[in-house]
Amino acid sequence: MAAMLKCVMSGSQAKVFGKAVQALSRISDQLWLDPSKKGLALRSVNSSRSAYGCVLFSPVFFQHYQWSALVKMNENEHETTLNLKCQLGMKSILPIFRCLNSLERNIEKCKIFTRSDKCKVVIQFFYRHDFSNAVYSEMFVGSDDFDFFQIGMDTEITFCFKELKGILTFSEATHAPISIYFDFPGKPLALSIDDMLVEANFILATLADEPSRASSPQSPCLSQKRKRSDLIKKKAGKNVTGQTLECISRKAAPRRIYPKETLTNISALENSGSPGMKRANGDISEVSESSVSNTEEVPGSLCLRKYDAEKNLMEVMPNISVLSDIEQYPPLPRQEFGVE
Amino acid sequence: MKFRAKIVDGACLNHFTRISNMIAKLAKTCTLRISPDKLNFILCDKLANGGVSMWCELEQENFFSEFQMEGLSAENNEIYLELTSENLSRALKTAHNARALKIKLTNKHFPCLTVSVELFSMSSSSRIATHDIPIKVIPRKLWKDLQEPMVPDPDVSIYLPVLKTMKSVVEKMKNISSHLIIEANLDGELNLKIETELVRVTTHFKDLGNPPLASESTSQDRNPGHMAEVHIDIRKLLQFLAGQQVNPTKALCNIVTNKMVHFDLLHEDVSLQYFIPALS
Repeated sequence: MAAMLKCVMSGSQAKVFGKAVQALSRISDQLWLDPSKKGLALRSVNSSRSAYGCVLFSPVFFQHYQWSALVKMNENEHETTLNLKCQLGMKSILPIFRCLNSLERNIEKCKIFTRSDKCKVVIQFFYRHDFSNAVYSEMFVGSDDFDFFQIGMDTEITFCFKELKGILTFSEATHAPISIYFDFPGKPLALSIDDMLVEANFILATLADEPSRASSPQSPCLSQKRKRSDLIKKKAGKNVTGQTLECISRKAAPRRIYPKETLTNISALENSGSPGMKRANGDISEVSESSVSNTEEVPGSLCLRKYDAEKNLMEVMPNISVLSDIEQYPPLPRQEFGVE
Repeated sequence: MKFRAKIVDGACLNHFTRISNMIAKLAKTCTLRISPDKLNFILCDKLANGGVSMWCELEQENFFSEFQMEGLSAENNEIYLELTSENLSRALKTAHNARALKIKLTNKHFPCLTVSVELFSMSSSSRIATHDIPIKVIPRKLWKDLQEPMVPDPDVSIYLPVLKTMKSVVEKMKNISSHLIIEANLDGELNLKIETELVRVTTHFKDLGNPPLASESTSQDRNPGHMAEVHIDIRKLLQFLAGQQVNPTKALCNIVTNKMVHFDLLHEDVSLQYFIPALS
């Protein structure tokens, strides 16, 4: 039995909640979540103990409010009740409750969940589906634009564009070419920068196909350099659904949740990563720096490849759920380049 | 109904993008009217807009190298579409330095304005980005509410000062009062006034110049120093000023005492009229 808190609110309630967080952020960089039968109290006190704020949301404020304390029996056979003591950095929670007007307009539900034995607070936003105003954008990039282009079969994958944008912005700064590795829907997408000075790897989850659609791959055909396909479909517009919501949840404190084996898998990925893989696949023409376009969607220089079954990069990938923990692992051993 | 247009000139494309950005700042939702010679962005004076109306007009041949349209019918050779202005400006963002821009009316599950941007690329083929913007076709019976607003004879017509300056003044005033008095005379003087219980603030603009008045007789009767004034909602004025990212080629302000203020701007060859009603 652990102390826990679970509450659900609507978009307008989330706006009020967010306003409380914003007000308390003026007092201190730390926020306490303190649930009790009276409701959920948000507390903040500054370091010099000269200001204190407490906002108590009664249980009826929420659409759903559930909490429990940890009850312990000590030696004297007395019960001690330990309430959930949850402290969050304002830096983590404030960005979530930033655009409150848009929250009110677009959010159907906001769920907050935490447990004393979990060391994280999960905040989930469920967006309203307003397809009547969604803009659908598509970009076609011909195979000629790539330094290397090898697609086994026509593929369509869906992933979070916001994350991709961040990676592309970084790659622009390095002026290094990016390699993209992907497989069928559900398997992760890997973006890799590997040159003399910098090595970077980003792995993004993709939406899995619905069970009704057949996802068994046909026998892959290699080296179809001239094969054109619509590579990436991006859904523009304000509303975000499904997979991308996972990006929003934050952790209170970094913690290794998964066993060490997973780390090995990631190491295997890193070490068998770009340089090794490239060599195994024969000569790759020297990639030159390409001019970076001004447009948001256009990547620098992309190198796409789909591997055959034996060397399928994706098969060494760890479970998708560990992706969010990758940044918390200690940095992996880097190859020495003999740079002075 | 059919509509297909293409812009290949870089300067025209940038200008069109700027106009679209301006419209997005002035009206969340607006009507796009397509006729054989012109494109109009329209906001009619519904209660929902707070009585504000906008009429933006551009000559299609100044922008498009190709322009084909087929309206509702031969007698009603026009198309009226309702769209979210920001969708168009965001789509046009990708058109910076593009080779060409194509806009056409399509039906992909629902009626759309499809904006197709052809970008330069290193290879022989082009990169094409397509954006499908959902639109609503406005039925014929509602067209009468979307006609060019009648401009009443103003009491005073005056050239506006630098809009950026006006905007920063009004921005500060907004913190003090929710309504503002705009007044001007035929001596080239324009004042922006706010008044509360505690404070009164007036900003004076002088030597602005007045365009020649339409009718000679009124100018003879009028004392040139006499101020024509109108009380308006300060936020509406601010929204109008915030939409003007670039200083216009020509900017005129027409005041009808206690009725409305009418802004008449020219951004190169695109005209923008914006009407703010008096507070009742």
